[in-house]
Amino acid sequence: MSSVGQNSLPARLLSWSPRSTIRRYGVYCSLAVLLLIALAVRPEVYRPESLFLILRSASQLGMVALGQTLVMLVAGLDLSVTGLLVLTSVVIAQIGAGQDSRILPGLLISLAFGALIGLGNGLLITKRNVPPFVATLGMLVLIRGAQSAYTQGIPSGQVPNGLKVLNQSLGPLPVSFVIWVAFTMLLAFVLYATPFGRRIYAIGSNREAARLSGIAVDRYVVGVYVTCSLLVVGSGIILSGYVGYVDRYLGRGFDLDSIAAAVVGGVAFSGGRGNLVAAMAGVLLVQFLSSLLLAIGMDVQTQLIVKGLVVIGSVALYSLAERRS
Amino acid sequence: MKTTAALSALLMILGGGLARAEDSTPALQKYTQAELDASPYLKSVITREGTMADTSKFKKSGPYKIALAAQGPTNSWAALFDQEARYHVDQLGKDKVSELLYASADGNADKQVPEVEDLLSQNPDALILVPMGRAALAASVDRAATQGVPVVLCASGVDGDSYVTEIGTNLYDLGARAANWLSDQLNGSGTILVMDGIPGVDTAEIAKSGAAAVWKSKPGIKILDEQYGQWSTSEAKKIAEQWIAKYGKSIQGIWSDGGQMSQGIVEAFQEAKLPVPPLASADYSNGLLRQVKDGNINFSAGQYPNAMVILCIDTALKILNGESVPRFIDFRSVMEKTQDVRTSNIDTFFNPKWSDDVFPPIFLPDSKMVELKYMTK
Repeated sequence: MSSVGQNSLPARLLSWSPRSTIRRYGVYCSLAVLLLIALAVRPEVYRPESLFLILRSASQLGMVALGQTLVMLVAGLDLSVTGLLVLTSVVIAQIGAGQDSRILPGLLISLAFGALIGLGNGLLITKRNVPPFVATLGMLVLIRGAQSAYTQGIPSGQVPNGLKVLNQSLGPLPVSFVIWVAFTMLLAFVLYATPFGRRIYAIGSNREAARLSGIAVDRYVVGVYVTCSLLVVGSGIILSGYVGYVDRYLGRGFDLDSIAAAVVGGVAFSGGRGNLVAAMAGVLLVQFLSSLLLAIGMDVQTQLIVKGLVVIGSVALYSLAERRS
Repeated sequence: MKTTAALSALLMILGGGLARAEDSTPALQKYTQAELDASPYLKSVITREGTMADTSKFKKSGPYKIALAAQGPTNSWAALFDQEARYHVDQLGKDKVSELLYASADGNADKQVPEVEDLLSQNPDALILVPMGRAALAASVDRAATQGVPVVLCASGVDGDSYVTEIGTNLYDLGARAANWLSDQLNGSGTILVMDGIPGVDTAEIAKSGAAAVWKSKPGIKILDEQYGQWSTSEAKKIAEQWIAKYGKSIQGIWSDGGQMSQGIVEAFQEAKLPVPPLASADYSNGLLRQVKDGNINFSAGQYPNAMVILCIDTALKILNGESVPRFIDFRSVMEKTQDVRTSNIDTFFNPKWSDDVFPPIFLPDSKMVELKYMTK
C-alpha cells in the first residue's frame, strides 16, 4: 500500500531516500532517461507523426494494461485478454457487417461477452479457488475453441468503417489516446479517492485480513475481473477500427506486454502494491522502447532481449528497494 | 455430377502442364552449389523432386479408407482446406473412397501426435498428414510406415524419411521469385523494406533465406530495414506506419512474407495518403486482391492454395494403385491456377463475392461457397 497517498508532501520530503524514490518515481525516471536517449540517438522519433503513432499504439495496449493492473492489484492475473480481443473483433465484424448503423449493437454485444467472460474468470477464482493463472488460461482456450467452432475458421462480416474514427486525430492527439487517458483518470480517481479503491488495495495486501474486516472480498474480486474484461473489449474495439479486418493475431503479445508494463510501472505480482498512473507510464515506456528499437533498426531477436532485460531489471530494482526498506 | 467433377479434377491435374507453360514467372533459378550447401531444405527438395518412390508394396484394391490428419479450422486457410477435402472425396464417390477418417489438430503439434495414433489404430489404407511440427510428428510418420500405411505429407514436411511423398511448393524459390520480381520492378536498383513472418517458423525462415540469396546477388538493392510482422495484419500495419514515418517517400519497394501482413502494409500507405510502392507478397488473400484492384497497386504474389489437398488425396489414391510418385511434388507443376498473381492477371483469382479472408484459388462450386457462407449470392 506504499503508493497510496498516506503521507503529506512535507512528510514525504523529510522521509526522502534513494530507495523510496525508486519505488515511487522509478518508472518516470526511466521514461525520462529513455526519452533523453532517444533524443540523442534517434531524434526523428520526436517528429509529430512518430509521436502520434507511439501514443496510438500505447493507447491500444494501455486499455488492456489498465485492466491487467487492476487484477494484479488484487493479486490476480488475466491471460485471457488476447482471446477476448480477437472475439471482440469477430463480434464487431459479424454484427456490424460493414454498416455503421450496426456499430452500437456490435459494441453492446461485445461488452456483454466481455462482462460474461470477466464474470466467469472472477467466479472461478473466488468460488472455486482456481489459481488466476489456470482460470484465465482455461478461459483463453475456451474462448478460442468456441470462436473457432462458431466461425468454422472464417469469420464472416466486415468491421464497420465508422470505427476508424477511434484511430484518427483529435487535434494533435489520437482519439484512442484521449479515451485511454480519460479511463486512466477515471480509474485513478476510483482507486485513490473512494472507499472502493482502498478496499482493492486492502484485498491485494492481505485477502484474509480484508475478509475479517468485513470487506466482501469475492464481490470486489469478481468486479475487478469484469472491469478488466470490459477494458479489454474497449481495446478490441479500438484495434478492430485500426485494422479494419478480423485479424486472428489481433493483440498478439498484449497479455505479456500488459503484464510487463504493469511490472515496469511498479505493480507487484503479490498484489496490493503499485500505482495505476505509474503502470500507465510503464505502458508508455514499453511502447516508446519498442518504437525506438524499431527506429534504430534493431533485429527482432535483440529487441526481445532488450525488452526482457528492461522487465527483469525493473523487477530486480523494485525488489531491492522493497527489501532494503 | 460425380463423373463431371471427377473429370474436372483429372483435367485440373493434367492441365498442370498447360498452367506451367502459361506461367509468366521466370523458370526455376539455377542454384549455385553454395546455395545448396547453405540450405539443407533446398537440397532436399531438389533431390526429392527428381526421385521416384516405389509404391508397389502399397498396391491394393479399393475402395479405400483414407485418414486425414489436418490442421483443423483454426483459420480461413485451414477451414477451406477441410471443405475442399470433404467435397473432393464426396465427388470421387464411395466406390473410390469408402471413408474419410478426419482428425483436427487445432493447429497444435501436441494434440496432433495422439490423434495420428488414434487414426492409425483404425487401420486406414493411407494417411494424409498436415504436420503441425517438423520434429514432433516424425515419430508418428515412422509408426505409420512400420504399420505399412503409406504417408502423404500435405502442405508441410517432417524430419526423417519414412513418408512416401510430400506435396507443397519450393518455399525457398517462393521467396526468391518474389525478390526477383521486386528487383526487376526497380531495374536492379532501389531502397526496399522487408517484412518476414514469424521468427523460427520453418516456412517463414525458408522463404526469407530464398529472398536473402537474391538480395545478396543484387548489390543495387538496399534494404532500409527488415522486421518480423508475425503474419499479423495489425502488427504489420504498426511496423509499416513507423517505416513510413521514418523513410517516407524513399521506400521504393516492399517484400512481404504473407498476404495478411501485406494487407496491413497497404492500409498503412493508404492511410498516410502515399502511393503503395511495388509490393512482392509471398501469398495473398481475397481481401488483399481487393485492395490491389481498388488501388491499382503494382503487385506480385506467390501461392499456397488450400486446394492442394485435392492433389494430396489423388496422390494417395495413386500410391494405393501402385503407381510410382515423386518424393516431392510441387503443386505448381500439376495444378492449374497456381501461377504467380500479378496486377495484370488479378481477375483470374479475385472474386468480389468472396469473403476477404478466403485464400484463392478455390475449386469448390459457388453453390457450396454460398452454403458455407464464404460467398454472397
